[in-house]
Amino acid sequence: MAKSTAPLPPAAPPKTPPVIAELRNVTKSFVVAGGSEMKVLDQIDLAVHEGELLALLGQSGSGKSTILRCLTGLTQPTIGRVLCYGQPLDGINPHASIVFQTFALYPWLTVEQNVAVGLMSKHMSRADRDVAVEKAIELIGLSNYHAAYPREISGGMRQRVGIARALVSAPEILCLDEAFSALDVLTAENLRHEMISLWHKKDTSLKSIFMVTHNIEEAVEMATRICILFPRPGRLGLVLENNLPYPRDSKSPEFQNLVRTIHETITTLTLPDLPPEPAPVSGAPISRARNRMESIPYVPVGQILGLLSILRDTPDVTNIYDISDEIGKEFGETIGIVKAAEILEMVDTPKNDVRLTDLGQRFLSADRIGRRQIFNDQIHNLRIFHIIIEYLKLQDEVEADQLLKDIASALPYDNPEKILQTMVAWGRYAGIMDFNANTRTVFVLKDEEEEQP
Amino acid sequence: MNPDLPQFTAAEHRGRFGWLDVVILAGLFGLLWSVLHFGEGMLVHFDEKAMAPLETGVWSIPYYAGRTLLRMWIAFGCSLIFTFSVGYAAAKSRVARSFILPAIDVLQSVPVLGFLSATVTGFMALFPGSLLGVECASIFAIFTGQVWNMTFGFYHSMVTIPSDLQEAATTFGLNRWQRFSTLEVPSSMHSLLWNSMMSFGGGWFFVAQSEAISVMNKSIKLPGLGSYMASAVERGDNTGAFWAVVAMLVVIVASDQFVWRPLIAWADKFKMELTEASQAPRSWVYELLRGAYVFEWLAENLVHPVTERLRIFTHKLTPAPPFKRRSGPDLAQVAGVLLGGAFALWVGYHAFTGLLSAIETVRRGVSLETLGKVAGLGLLTMLRVLAMTVLATLIWTPIGVWIGFKPSVARIAQPLAQIAASFPVNMTFPIVVGLFVAWRIPMNWGSIFLIAMGTQWYLLFNVIAGAMAIPNDLKDVARTYGLRGWALWRTLILPAIFPFWVTGACTAAGGAWNASIVAEWATWGDTTLKADGLGAFIAEVTQRGDKPLIICSIAMMSLFVVATNQLLWRRLYALAERRFRLD
Repeated sequence: MAKSTAPLPPAAPPKTPPVIAELRNVTKSFVVAGGSEMKVLDQIDLAVHEGELLALLGQSGSGKSTILRCLTGLTQPTIGRVLCYGQPLDGINPHASIVFQTFALYPWLTVEQNVAVGLMSKHMSRADRDVAVEKAIELIGLSNYHAAYPREISGGMRQRVGIARALVSAPEILCLDEAFSALDVLTAENLRHEMISLWHKKDTSLKSIFMVTHNIEEAVEMATRICILFPRPGRLGLVLENNLPYPRDSKSPEFQNLVRTIHETITTLTLPDLPPEPAPVSGAPISRARNRMESIPYVPVGQILGLLSILRDTPDVTNIYDISDEIGKEFGETIGIVKAAEILEMVDTPKNDVRLTDLGQRFLSADRIGRRQIFNDQIHNLRIFHIIIEYLKLQDEVEADQLLKDIASALPYDNPEKILQTMVAWGRYAGIMDFNANTRTVFVLKDEEEEQP
Repeated sequence: MNPDLPQFTAAEHRGRFGWLDVVILAGLFGLLWSVLHFGEGMLVHFDEKAMAPLETGVWSIPYYAGRTLLRMWIAFGCSLIFTFSVGYAAAKSRVARSFILPAIDVLQSVPVLGFLSATVTGFMALFPGSLLGVECASIFAIFTGQVWNMTFGFYHSMVTIPSDLQEAATTFGLNRWQRFSTLEVPSSMHSLLWNSMMSFGGGWFFVAQSEAISVMNKSIKLPGLGSYMASAVERGDNTGAFWAVVAMLVVIVASDQFVWRPLIAWADKFKMELTEASQAPRSWVYELLRGAYVFEWLAENLVHPVTERLRIFTHKLTPAPPFKRRSGPDLAQVAGVLLGGAFALWVGYHAFTGLLSAIETVRRGVSLETLGKVAGLGLLTMLRVLAMTVLATLIWTPIGVWIGFKPSVARIAQPLAQIAASFPVNMTFPIVVGLFVAWRIPMNWGSIFLIAMGTQWYLLFNVIAGAMAIPNDLKDVARTYGLRGWALWRTLILPAIFPFWVTGACTAAGGAWNASIVAEWATWGDTTLKADGLGAFIAEVTQRGDKPLIICSIAMMSLFVVATNQLLWRRLYALAERRFRLD
């Protein structure tokens, strides 16, 4: 299977270092609105080896945090096993420790007391505990901050407290759950470097780092091995070895190559160059078979319009990565917006390019009513919308709970609440439906076009 | 390499005792002595046939104030214990929750004062020949007046602890005690303290009322401020009555300044948000205490050793890591479930048999006509409660908004309104009733005023808080577009204060039902004024000791309260939450 090579000894023949913790054939489902189950992870096999810095890369909602929670014992898989040193994991993983995205510090405890929380379960004397806390605080550069409260220090310092708290119990695996994404760019960069040198240091018990992130550059900069997780349901797509020497230069061609490979993999898997599905014939029954139903990305209409305008106004920006830079969004988010525009047939995505279709051009040059009409037509081409449209043909309003149930059975890997939210947002723009929050019903929007000037 | 400036709160380690410490220590020992001194008085022999009359001198007031205060704190301590244990059980166990939450919901609608007669006889039978029985009944009345609110608040903050903080506790393997002391209590501290302060303020009403009661044609007076006031009014001793009111005010303000304000200022660090509050609550007592070394010394020499012992002790109870998910349920858990189950069964059995015998008594002793009459009286009292709410809203909303828009006024007015809400106006009812007699005001209307005297303040200080909470940018927008008069009220002020108004009005209405028992039936010297209403009816049958009618009228009042809660306040709360939340 996947091999990991430590970056330092270059000449040694690649051999697989021992596994510390692993997921075997793990599937995880959650109960969502309406009582139906949503599968977030599907048959995951993933191992953290000794000495590696493993990055799990995926968009938000792909289930990467769930993998981390399975590995640390915070949650149990629905199917499959979690092993630690070959033994089935029972309860909280004693060899792993977590750094949280939100820091998860206790506001009423000082820095020192917060770090000491990491040792609360250990049966050690107060003196030993103080020594260990002091060591962790010093290691992570928090000296002089002992008596400060979390609200008195900056975000970067808070996350240092989170890291010190995770390290104080001398774990073998350090799990970073989007640990840098709540920080500003410079602070995050600084902390990333420190994490790498911490992992290099041989005088701590720390053997491996398992990090979960949606930031491609971050994964390439830090990890020795990168696993890409694809959503709905979460499954492992690509596993990449990353043998670039540290410190890594994000401008170097090798670095850029790796980033591009990951981009392309995500793009081809998310936006496949397939012929579009035939539109449903009016009058013919809508098939609700799940393989015919396509999900929609949770993207507001405004972002789709913004993408279209950018494509029109900057004709030289065609590549999806350049678009991502141009609109200043994460790659994963950008791809969701492009996908939304694509299923509405406003853009076409040959390879990594994004181009306006004729329909997209027409849409942009139309006035408000014309745009609404085009959007309306396109929505009628999407099967998932017919769940609502069929109801609204027969009655003026339909209860959200009923719709949630139908959506959940049509799209078992999606969050029905979010799908419904997106559908209502699109439907509002198209002028065909609206949502009444008081009665929790979706209702037909009465035609008011004539009355408006 | 650290770009962040160290700005930690420097703790001054002076390491020696100063004059401040001497004062504080003296205060602490004084406190201890008073608790013992006043506590002694609770245990004296008591014979209902030959009760010693209360001393009438003005100089005995401090002693009576101390007795009243001690009663309040004992009741509060019991409430706190109940809050922690029951609130914790409700938050942790789904089975316990499904019993506890509905039970509390009903219990907080029951008019406490109506029960006084039953509890007094019960507790007196428990401690025959000792004053402790009557003391317990009074304490129990205060306890039932304040505990439900606190328990609900604690439960609510327990279940709304952010999930990342919970996960951190789980992943670092905190045991139950550690979780309770480092996460669960601190994160609910802020709301717990505010709820406690409000409940404690509400308790004065019950203490004043329960000290002087007439049950089963007997008049019992516990030594205390409430009873002193009652007997002063009976004697027509105006000086005594005046000083009793002053003493009450002093005791309330002192509790506020020396206990609650410092605690609230201290609890500011338990707020969840990680940003520094622009205006932290302040308390001069807290500032003073912080400068004292004695607490540091106590922490080092008393608290730390104890918590260390406790830590080691709890370690012995919990397994060392690696943690095993239990293969079978562990012993402590089984014991807990068995104990809890047995307790629940015991309580359930007694509740059930009690209910059966109550129904039986009512069935035998109350005719259907009487039941109809009681329901009619309930309707009258409900009209009075509604009238009070509407009138108080009409009067206090403009004033409250005016105050809330002027921060300098609000800083003074809000605590004043809070103290006014705490003051047991029922102490002064006889005097007001005297005025009613003199001016020939019919009690049916006058009782509305009496009810409003105690409860209107809840509306006022909630409206002030709501007006203060309106964000400045929304006010600026209104000013930019020249909104004024009714347009300003309709678009900005009324929607923004609505959630606060609902809270205030609901509290006021809840208090009004209880107040009706004392406000619809009042005595001035030999004259007894009586209004037509369920409150007066309950007061009357309680004094007569007519058991079937007591049960039936209290049940009727509970029914009315539960019904208005469900039909009116719940819906208004939901509406406020949905439409008028500012965030």
